Amino acid sequence: MTTVNAIAGDIREGRYEDRYRRLKSWGFTPRNIGMILLILFLGFLTLYPLAMLIYGSLHSTPPGMAGEFNLNGYRELLSTHNLIALLNTLGISFAKTIPSLALAVLFSWIIARTDTPFRGQLEVLITLPFFVPSILTAMAWGMLGNPKVGLINQAYMAMTGGTEPLINVFSYGGIIWHLMQHSTPFLFLFIVDVFRAMDPALEDSSRMCGASRWRTFRSITLLLMLPALTNAFILSFIRGIESFESPLFFGSPAGITVVTTEIFNAINYRSGPQPDYQYATAISVAILVLMFLMVLVQWRMLRGRSFVTVTGKGYSPNVTKLGPWRWVTFGICVLFFVVTVVLPIGQLAVGSFFRFFGFYDPSMLTLANYVKVGTNPEFWRGFCNTMVLGVLGSTVTMFLGAIVAYISVRTRWRGRTLIDTMAWLPWMMPGMVLGIGFLWAFAILPKSIPIYGTIWALFLAYIALGTPIAVRVMVGSYAQLSLDLEECSRVHGATFFQTLWRILIALAWPSFVVGWVLTFFGILRELSASVMLYSVGSEVLSVIVMKLWLNGLAEQVSVIALFMMLLVIVFRWVQLRLLKHHITTL
Amino acid sequence: MPAITLEKVSREFGTFIAVDNIDLTVEEGEFVTLLGHSGCGKTTTLRMIAGLERNTGGLVSIHDQVVSDASKNYFLAPERRQLGMVFQSYAIWPHMTVFDNVAYPLRIRRKSAVEIKDRVTKTLKLVEMEQFAQRPAPALSGGQQQRVAIARALVFEPEVLLLDEPLSNLDARLRTQMGDEFRALQKRLGITSLYVTHDQAEAMALSDRVVVMHAGHILQVGAPDDIYHRPRSRAVADFFGSPNLFEGAVRGCERIGDDVFVLDVSGQGWSGRCRADMPSQAGESILVMIRPENLRVIDSGTPVKDGEITIQGRVADTIFRGARRTILLECGTANFNAEISALHPVTVGESIAFGVEPGAAWAIRP
Repeated sequence: MTTVNAIAGDIREGRYEDRYRRLKSWGFTPRNIGMILLILFLGFLTLYPLAMLIYGSLHSTPPGMAGEFNLNGYRELLSTHNLIALLNTLGISFAKTIPSLALAVLFSWIIARTDTPFRGQLEVLITLPFFVPSILTAMAWGMLGNPKVGLINQAYMAMTGGTEPLINVFSYGGIIWHLMQHSTPFLFLFIVDVFRAMDPALEDSSRMCGASRWRTFRSITLLLMLPALTNAFILSFIRGIESFESPLFFGSPAGITVVTTEIFNAINYRSGPQPDYQYATAISVAILVLMFLMVLVQWRMLRGRSFVTVTGKGYSPNVTKLGPWRWVTFGICVLFFVVTVVLPIGQLAVGSFFRFFGFYDPSMLTLANYVKVGTNPEFWRGFCNTMVLGVLGSTVTMFLGAIVAYISVRTRWRGRTLIDTMAWLPWMMPGMVLGIGFLWAFAILPKSIPIYGTIWALFLAYIALGTPIAVRVMVGSYAQLSLDLEECSRVHGATFFQTLWRILIALAWPSFVVGWVLTFFGILRELSASVMLYSVGSEVLSVIVMKLWLNGLAEQVSVIALFMMLLVIVFRWVQLRLLKHHITTL
Repeated sequence: MPAITLEKVSREFGTFIAVDNIDLTVEEGEFVTLLGHSGCGKTTTLRMIAGLERNTGGLVSIHDQVVSDASKNYFLAPERRQLGMVFQSYAIWPHMTVFDNVAYPLRIRRKSAVEIKDRVTKTLKLVEMEQFAQRPAPALSGGQQQRVAIARALVFEPEVLLLDEPLSNLDARLRTQMGDEFRALQKRLGITSLYVTHDQAEAMALSDRVVVMHAGHILQVGAPDDIYHRPRSRAVADFFGSPNLFEGAVRGCERIGDDVFVLDVSGQGWSGRCRADMPSQAGESILVMIRPENLRVIDSGTPVKDGEITIQGRVADTIFRGARRTILLECGTANFNAEISALHPVTVGESIAFGVEPGAAWAIRP
């Protein structure tokens, strides 16, 4: 009897093993299943909206309605009006990138290579505008530079007695000026590290060959940085094409249209009796093609040219002694900070305490704006939505980024290039374009998956938009940790998961938090995808601010904007403290 | 029972074969070095034993346990092999103190706090790092990091210690000192060690046996003395220093012991006796290897010993090296070099006669 049982057992075990082996031979290992799930999720976030965009541009009716396939959307693109919008987009982006780059190089040199006093503090101040949501500064400058009642023009007219305004922000100049405030610190963040990481011997040897300081800067320093500068230039140019806030606030009143505002107008009843989805998606596809070409140019230009100067070695770069001139450079940096941060915040603070913005009379002082905002349920709902989306969205995005980055740099698994590419795709999709893509993608889903018109739509869009940066941050973090650190742990007895927890996570968590804060900033400032995907009940702060502004409630807007500024400064402070204490010691 | 056994072990990366079908055994308590130029497969071999790399062919065993068998698709994860390893970069975890780094293997093995404290302190004492226990790891010099890495690899008394070029990141003086210290420690503890290096001096000074590798193959295994003086091929001979190789023909062969033969050879401008590990036929052509330091200057007064190879050369250049003097000589169309006492005066252009004892000349099949 026992023998029979034993044999039966053997057979059963054999069968089980057989089945397991067969499953394995088909590729059903836990790792492969995980990879497939990851690919499906990333595909849903990136490829699916992309495909829906193309579908939408060829379909005559809005999502979910019967219609026919035609090329009307693309036919509509071919108009003078659109050509001007396209030229505006490219021209404005180009016009703002050039001076921004020059300023960024100047600031980088001041901060990294001169003995200007308080460089550490100045660096924090110069980079702050990058983290401030553009919509806030846009509104502040809309008040500051208003040709009729703007503070700057009022002050100018009072001082000179003139009647003509000094500046008018509702113009090409205004758009470019506002874009520069954001792209200068963006470029600075890229370039300053290049200045820092340069081996001083490269420059010293030029001086020893008889070149002057200025000659060395021109023919050695600048040329060595050329690949990095080119890369930064193209990135900033792409960002310029994607920009939405500045052209919306300063361009629309002056009748200047760019591609993003064109899309916005097409969907928001502005250009016709009803939203023209097909036209909007057709422009989106066109802009995607443009982006793709830009990225191609970037790749071609960078191919074969390595960032020779960025070696990651800890050089102490040459510092130029400026003598009394160091106070001039100090002044330039402070001036930039005052103009880009102090002035807008000042305007918002002033605006928030007066009954009507522009009429700054002591009798108009009031706290009513604060009370109105504080008792506005819509504001509190938006605040809660933003915080929930910010916290949850950043966390999920960073986890996704950490996993994708780990698989793409630390493993040799099949499919890693695919997930890396998919996670990078949203990088070349402007928020507005991704927003429309998702709009179609969610609208067409069956009713049993209720994403359309809910907060989940925003949630998924934010994850998609944040993933490229999350991946980059984590790739950078892992790249600093040599693989030996993990292998050593494995050999000394720790399992894969123990190693992950005790070595990799223990070492990479500060980067994770820094990336988290960056993603959080991204969500806080996000407007262009949000205006596409929000619906009643799922508004976020930036959308509420925009709606109030469009309704002419600049005073209440000031209150909310101040509040958001405060959030930005607090988070930035936390991030800087973490950077100081954890990253530098490694 | 050998501590490590490799049977027909291979590692292929696509079409590139990093390690090609090698066999090797390391005995209990032995110190074996894998020596070779970069890319010869030595590090890959070590990593396959560690379990960080999977062998695509063959069998790896540690003691009597098979840890990897390519034919059965069996592979034991690195953490289950009970090995200690010292990495080239030391891989000191920067977020831990010295104590935490060394305690890590014990914590993973869930030892009690008392035992951990006891054993870590003892091991740190062994490498003379006990006063640095609470120091954060990044605040250590290269030599100190190396000691911590060794302590961490020893603390749980592993079956075998693996070392991947542990001295290559140190400066020359510290390298010699740490090497000697480590060898003394290894002998005292009697721990089986497999050591990878590209530095021939290090390999000879430290090892019981040296394994010379080239292009994924093992060229020769033997005691340092054997490998140095009795290489089996030209490649192995070339590996150590810059030996002189003279082409010659065999005139006679005599067996003087187990696998030891004396050959009577002659070449262009020289003749005499040399040793070999295999018999040769008269008329066969061979290479005679003579190390530069074994060429003895024959002054006009000193007699030539029986059977000694004698060779004459014209001095082309001399290099003063402090302890020794290297002279480059021309002999007909051939060039050779000799290392002699720095006190011996030499002028360029003069002719010098050398003698070589039969024991210092070694025959290699070309």
